[in-house]
Amino acid sequence: MTSFSLFEIFLDLAYSWTRMFIALLLSILFSLTVGILAARNKRAEAIIVPLLDVFQSIPILGFFPIVILGVIAIIPSQIGVDLSVILLIFTSLAWNITFGVYEAVKSIPHDYIELSLMPDVGAWRRITNLYIPASISRIAYNTETSWAVGLFYLISSEILTLGKSSYTVTHGIGVAIITFASANDWTGYTYSIISLLVAVVVWQFVFLREFALWSERYKFVEEPRGARHDPLMRFYSWMTHKSISKLFLYSHSRGVTKFSSTFYRFKDGIKYSIVILLAIFIAFELGALWNLNIGLPTHLPSVASIFSTEKNVIVALAYSFVRIWYVYFFCVMVGVPLGIGVSLNSKLYDGLTPVIETIASVPAPALLPAIALVTHQGELVAAIIIFLGMIWYIVFNVMAGIRSLPAELFELRSIFHISRVQAWRDIYLPAAATAFVSGSIVAIGAAWNTLIVAEFFIVSGSTPITQVQAGIGKTIALATNQGDLLSLTLAVLSMTALIVTFNLVVWRRVYHYTTKRYAYNR
Amino acid sequence: MTLFPRENLVHKSMVILSSNYASSGFEAKAGKDNVSEQAFQGPVVDVERISLEFTKERDQLPVLADISMTALQDQFVSITGPSGCGKSSLLRIIAGLHKTTSGIVKFKGTEITQPRSEIAMIFQNFVLLPWRTALENVTFALSAKRELSEDEKRERAMKMLDHVGLKGFENVFPGELSGGMKQRVGIARALALEPEVLLMDEPFSSLDDLTAGLLRKEVYSLLINPSSSIQAVIMVSHNVEEVVELSDKVVVLSQRPAHVVGEMDITLPRPRERKSPDFYTWMDKIYSLLA
Repeated sequence: MTSFSLFEIFLDLAYSWTRMFIALLLSILFSLTVGILAARNKRAEAIIVPLLDVFQSIPILGFFPIVILGVIAIIPSQIGVDLSVILLIFTSLAWNITFGVYEAVKSIPHDYIELSLMPDVGAWRRITNLYIPASISRIAYNTETSWAVGLFYLISSEILTLGKSSYTVTHGIGVAIITFASANDWTGYTYSIISLLVAVVVWQFVFLREFALWSERYKFVEEPRGARHDPLMRFYSWMTHKSISKLFLYSHSRGVTKFSSTFYRFKDGIKYSIVILLAIFIAFELGALWNLNIGLPTHLPSVASIFSTEKNVIVALAYSFVRIWYVYFFCVMVGVPLGIGVSLNSKLYDGLTPVIETIASVPAPALLPAIALVTHQGELVAAIIIFLGMIWYIVFNVMAGIRSLPAELFELRSIFHISRVQAWRDIYLPAAATAFVSGSIVAIGAAWNTLIVAEFFIVSGSTPITQVQAGIGKTIALATNQGDLLSLTLAVLSMTALIVTFNLVVWRRVYHYTTKRYAYNR
Repeated sequence: MTLFPRENLVHKSMVILSSNYASSGFEAKAGKDNVSEQAFQGPVVDVERISLEFTKERDQLPVLADISMTALQDQFVSITGPSGCGKSSLLRIIAGLHKTTSGIVKFKGTEITQPRSEIAMIFQNFVLLPWRTALENVTFALSAKRELSEDEKRERAMKMLDHVGLKGFENVFPGELSGGMKQRVGIARALALEPEVLLMDEPFSSLDDLTAGLLRKEVYSLLINPSSSIQAVIMVSHNVEEVVELSDKVVVLSQRPAHVVGEMDITLPRPRERKSPDFYTWMDKIYSLLA
């Protein structure tokens, strides 16, 4: 590679990082405003917390095409494209950080609040001298842990906008990766992947870690972190914990989170999801109406066309559902033994964790061109991408789960002279069960997000690099390329409905059963 | 849980134990133990000049410095010292779970290099398998005993649960038991192995005061009695009161790196009255070594 290309790659990295950074700043501003409001105002809390909850559990990537169509309609220029990329990254960071601020302000010791309510302390001073400092450590913590997910959305969104020439991201590391790949420049491709990796590691050390260390001084109390100080691993388990509590907030049996009381009125989970879906649907219909004036869809869809489109969508959903579950099966076969095996051996754990973390930090979509080069089987390519998008959640959760258990539990094996086979059956596998189920829930959720890239991938108008026969990701990608707002809306809504229903009907029960039966609390 | 009047405690439980074991071939076992007792005259556990260092970020952290101690036949030995001084590490070395930097531990004259089936352990936090019932937790400990059939393991586990006062709780999961009952399962699990040495790592410190007090009153006669296989007990504890209440001998360790600052035979007659002036005198002796 010439130095000129390396400079180009560096420039692309700078573009991408600027987007990430702007999105991060916006997320922090948003989280401070909304998080503090929700924590200090009962009425705002009742609205904001459920809303954040919904935003967290929908597959963001599926909505991206709709977002970009909307934003481009308002600002039809390069700025519009950049804005929608930033918006997408924002949506992957903001809710987590907002929850962090909300919880931080909520948990300020009562004495401090009373002190700040003294007559000569104004509201602004209270915010700048108490609420914001109290939130800083959580913001830093959540930033560090959300960065990887933001990166995934950055790369995906940069790639996704390539579909239609009218709105294309012109610079960015994701763009570079795909451009090199489509030009068959595999040296350039390798260089850009390595540059991305180096950037991730360097950023971790020069910014994220420093930010986290600096924020330590704002902590009210020391929290013991145990074995969970690897940021990425912490991210996966933390992210899981968050999503799980979000999903099951409105169940009475377990106080998963402190603020579940706001959900008590949503006694019936199904009713809850229907209300949300209806609200989203109305929002999109309004959006469609509004787009009508801009001229994107020329007419509102007829009932008949809704039904015939929905029929295709359901078939596609079925394909994707089966696809995700058979890939999940492979993830379990690899991820569980890997996670347990690595965690059981301290030397292996210390040596391998950084390696696994580095591998895991490569966003799966960036690898797609290379995989598509090796095999032209669309189904296989999709399976590999889904696999890569899913497995780390299982591996890291199982690892965190095993490492959080007391060492004595593993001493039982030597003290009672238990055989290896029996130890796996009676100690290790049951001990990993709760972490494994939590990891699985989030892994399946993440898998739905990767579909849009995994099932259909096209670069600037040419024939697709890879595609499967049918799938919801393909439906969404195709609809985006063709500007078919009806298919797009129905596909995204049906996918969301399936995910929410499945979570409520299946995962929730599995989760409760496992925590009841297998949770290790002495 | 029935509490026997203190004076009769040892005697009555002995009667109960022997009637319990009358039909299960335990006498034969006890007889065999007597033979081995006669065969080996020295200390049951002999800790010889143990040192331990941890390597942390290229620094050598000395934890234990040249520690020697013994547990003689039928002796209840306590190891006490300031928190974080390495008491638990020492116990794990005796259990064969940790390696030493230098020095050896002998069980009846043989060096301990790995966990032995003659040595059982009771943990501070019980460490029961939450996904197994009380009974299954006890039989789990017997997994490696190939000479026993499944029925025999089950029978022995039932007896042990009965012995520690958990009759009727065999099929309950640990999550549904109180702390005291969990530790009783832990004791039953250790006793089911018919160990010759029992190691206890802060066995009462996860329990509330009342529960711990009740369990302490029973535990000595549960462990050391003529029909028990146990020949020596080594307990790690930071609670001076329970040390005086239970031990025949106490070994006091210093701050890190821990060395032995004192060793005393507690000659108070049993059962020991916690409110008696003699009891306080012994506690003061230990406190003066700790300070």
